[in-house]
Amino acid sequence: MAGDHGLNGPRFARAPVPWLLVAAPMAVLLVFFALPNALLLSTSFLRSEAQQLTDELTLENYGFLFSRSLYIGAFIRTFAVGVAVGLFDVLLGYPLAYFLVRTKSRFKGLLIALALAPLLASVVVRTYGWYIILNRFGVANDLLLGLGLIEERIAFMPSTPAIVVGLAHALLPYTVLTIMGSLNGINPNLELAAMSLGASRTRTFFHVVLPLCLPGIAGGFILSFSIAISAYATPAILGGPATQVMATAIYGFMTQLLDWSIGAALAMILIVCSLLLLYAAARFGARQAAL
Amino acid sequence: MTAWGGLRAVVACVYLFMLGPILITAAVSFNESNRSQFPPRGFSLQWWQRALAPEWIDPLVFSFKLASLTAVISTLLALPLAFALARYRFKGREAVVALTLGPLMLPALVTGVGLLQLFQYVGWRDYIGFTALLVGHVVICLPFAVRTVAISLHTLPANVELAAASLGASRWRTLWHVVFPLIKSGVVAGAVFAFVHSFTDVNLSLFLVRPGEQPITVKILGFLEYGFAPTLAAVSVITLILPLVLVAIVEKLSGLGDFIYGEHKRV
Repeated sequence: MAGDHGLNGPRFARAPVPWLLVAAPMAVLLVFFALPNALLLSTSFLRSEAQQLTDELTLENYGFLFSRSLYIGAFIRTFAVGVAVGLFDVLLGYPLAYFLVRTKSRFKGLLIALALAPLLASVVVRTYGWYIILNRFGVANDLLLGLGLIEERIAFMPSTPAIVVGLAHALLPYTVLTIMGSLNGINPNLELAAMSLGASRTRTFFHVVLPLCLPGIAGGFILSFSIAISAYATPAILGGPATQVMATAIYGFMTQLLDWSIGAALAMILIVCSLLLLYAAARFGARQAAL
Repeated sequence: MTAWGGLRAVVACVYLFMLGPILITAAVSFNESNRSQFPPRGFSLQWWQRALAPEWIDPLVFSFKLASLTAVISTLLALPLAFALARYRFKGREAVVALTLGPLMLPALVTGVGLLQLFQYVGWRDYIGFTALLVGHVVICLPFAVRTVAISLHTLPANVELAAASLGASRWRTLWHVVFPLIKSGVVAGAVFAFVHSFTDVNLSLFLVRPGEQPITVKILGFLEYGFAPTLAAVSVITLILPLVLVAIVEKLSGLGDFIYGEHKRV
């Protein structure tokens, strides 16, 4: 949430053009960010034969991906997971964000820190917690067996719902930060005004607060959606060969099948989807979390 | 107020959802048996002993070195860039902003794939491993450092610099004696964000590792193929504690909170 005003609106302008200042960082970004992505873009239009790239231009790589049910299934699964994660995170994140912004508890600072602390752990570590809970001999099965609710062990994973739960857990702090940002912008006096005019607390919430922070909700939804579609670790740990998503498919093409052109095409499709989502988020006026 | 009471109950459940898996991981690492029993039966430090073997300490040290160096380099690159963006209006500024925020917009996974291809394409295959990882991490951590430094530059009144200059201080003297001390906490915060982002990354690192040169996250991911091992639970807790301690120390010394949350207070 370290606001994006940080890069906008320079205070004062003075001669001479500061290209000296930006030269080194720009060189690094051009060579190690722009160039590799451009290289990938061009690779996606080249035919590869027997794991070797040729010079021949083609659209076949994209055609291949959009004609195999395996990859169409992976696209659909990726987006279904993204939407489910976004909804999940808004549903869980909104009450938490509202509470954290409005609470008068003297533990407010600690509560905010606790809500953001999970960001300090790698997604691998946090997903591992879900692995411990969900695997066949895991905590959830032990608990349900112990309570006598099930007779036999259930395979909660590998499965798509397990991926959704793991990712929703991993991305929740981003959604909370985004929604807190928009709630912070709402003048609490508006609520007081509504209530002084006779509206109940519930009515005030649904007719005043909620409509005002819709952009924040949309932003939080799209942010977790867009991170979820490019996540690798969680689908790799909680999913399996039958629950491929775009990220795991890219990894497969690049490191196991060694088909660079199809892997590159898949990566380009992922980039386009992410950019479209971020564009949508920007239109909703949402800001991106910075941690 | 009943509505507020209901909200508190919901919030308690959300905290349970957020922190539960992490606490369960920690608890399981002290288990006596080789299974993920929870609540744990017995108490044993055997998994912690194994987690402290070179097999796990080496990638941990590797990650620590990588993240530290990434933090230093991306902060050094971020300082002039953020200063230029915060203090000047120049032709091509929009393009510079776009390129700066680029690594934040495009999936790190794709940048990792692209870097792998670049290094193979130009014949730097031997540099895949630490060098390639360092380059990649600097790229994806730079936007965090730039933003944080830019925020502290924006909250610093420009008059301060004018005052110093009008009292006869040279441009460099002003920067060194006035501007830098005032934005120091922002610079430190940026470096910490870069460290944490590098230390926890897996999406980019995945493609740039080689045997013996892999960060702890990729090592854990690879090990997970063999299924559950309480050693991994102990390793997970260690990798969680490291950034936590770092952030706690820095928060005590110079304050981070303002840069994550609460910017509204600063304006």
